[in-house]
Amino acid sequence: MAPRLESFFRETASGLRRNGVVAFAAMSTSFIALFLFGLSLLIAREFELVTRVLTGNVEVQVYLNDPANPATVARLTEKLQQVQAVSAVEFWNKRRSCEEFRRLFEGQDVFLENVDCLEVIPTSLRVNLSEVTNFSQITAALGCSIVVDDEGDQHQECTEPGVRNVADYQKLLDRLDALTRVLSLSVFGIAVIMLASAIGLVANTLRMGMFARRKEIGIMRLVGATNWRIRVPFLIEGLVEAMLGAATAIAGLFLVKVFVVDNLRGTAPWLPLIKNSDVVVVMPWILLAAALVAIVAGTIGMRRFLDV
Amino acid sequence: MISLQRVTKVYRNGVTALEDVSVEIDKGEFVFVVGPSGSGKSTMIRLLLKQEEASRGEVFVAGKNLSKITSFKVPHLRRNIGTVFQDYKLLQDKTVFENVSFALEVIGKPKHVIDQRVPEILEYVGLGEKLNAFPDELSGGEQQRVSIARACVNRPLVLLADEPTGNLDPNTSVDIMRLLDKVNRIGTTILMATHDQAIVDAMRKRVIELERGKVIRDQSRGVYS
Repeated sequence: MAPRLESFFRETASGLRRNGVVAFAAMSTSFIALFLFGLSLLIAREFELVTRVLTGNVEVQVYLNDPANPATVARLTEKLQQVQAVSAVEFWNKRRSCEEFRRLFEGQDVFLENVDCLEVIPTSLRVNLSEVTNFSQITAALGCSIVVDDEGDQHQECTEPGVRNVADYQKLLDRLDALTRVLSLSVFGIAVIMLASAIGLVANTLRMGMFARRKEIGIMRLVGATNWRIRVPFLIEGLVEAMLGAATAIAGLFLVKVFVVDNLRGTAPWLPLIKNSDVVVVMPWILLAAALVAIVAGTIGMRRFLDV
Repeated sequence: MISLQRVTKVYRNGVTALEDVSVEIDKGEFVFVVGPSGSGKSTMIRLLLKQEEASRGEVFVAGKNLSKITSFKVPHLRRNIGTVFQDYKLLQDKTVFENVSFALEVIGKPKHVIDQRVPEILEYVGLGEKLNAFPDELSGGEQQRVSIARACVNRPLVLLADEPTGNLDPNTSVDIMRLLDKVNRIGTTILMATHDQAIVDAMRKRVIELERGKVIRDQSRGVYS
């Protein structure tokens, strides 16, 4: 077995050396394709994290008309507590809302200095929902609906006295969902196209390699080498190209994580960001995609050589 | 060892290369197949290697019916058949030793077998001193010896030679024929396609003459024409 393996790798190495430029093209296309593929997976993951923060332990703000008198607060609280999906209702006065505002925008003095939060932020009822999708039960209970005014703008109106409006999560969730889908689908789409061209290029290198070595292959056939014995060095060559592409793609994703994502970490503390472990989770998929590229390329590139 | 039974080969372009050919060749025989270009000599060799399939009739080599064996088994058939060509088919970037060892390597022979058999066979064909030479440093006759060594290193039952002396001068051709005769004497069945009249006449072996795809003569201890 040992001499056989050795001769496989010797042939693979000489093949890679022989058409170095084409092999490099195949490798770099694999790299870009696999990088984009990994990126689309990471984008999907990032949005999953964001969505989880936004939807998990969700709290709906019911803003009240100021000044809110205790009787109204009590009445509304009771009313909301009767809604099935509601687990808890809490009244936030101006001061509490302001503290939250300062916490969220900590370090961003532009906001803190220019916004008089006691004036701007209304008092509110914070309603905890067991399930974010049941959000519409709250708007229904408070008689809120979207109306279109004369100028065509949409805004929310609530019939329940004392209620200013309800923070509309549904729209946000829909938008977030749509955004996630569009972003990761388009990156994924690009990745698929790139993967297809990577397959084409790797297949082409293999074919050129076979053409360059057609005399050698002819002799191998004559002396009774099996088809597998003839094909394996080329398959390994394709695999090496795809795997080098995968390795650089993984390195690239780590660089993106370190230099782009980690830079964001300071600027938006409330935003959950992907961690190294998320990149690690993506790795096997990239390697799998690389193996797929090599196998499909091998099948296409060597189809002409399948017959004896 | 080799048997063609009513074999006809029609190529896809409609050319009939062999027509109703029946030939029996026993183990250890040395047979010349002669005839002008296009008479079907090369087609016969291609059929024996299963590079082509017979349109009609049956081809047997080393006891195997070639129309019955799957393409999966073809490599194993070819391990029993050595081949020698007019153009030597040597790999220019490999030494004499590597050209011969290549044939064993690609069928998975272990290193100790290669290291033993390759120098042995090169000694046998008279190239024991030139193991590390490259093909372009050798004469035509020497290159053909390398090719014969490669064909014989796996100890085949049958040796097929397609115009092995076609590129060689008469004296060198005689040397090559002596070598092939030597290979024949150790029991290898040899089928050699040629139109080298002098050689056929000198060797006095069995001669099968083809003309436009048909056997027009099959004569033991024959001459060219």
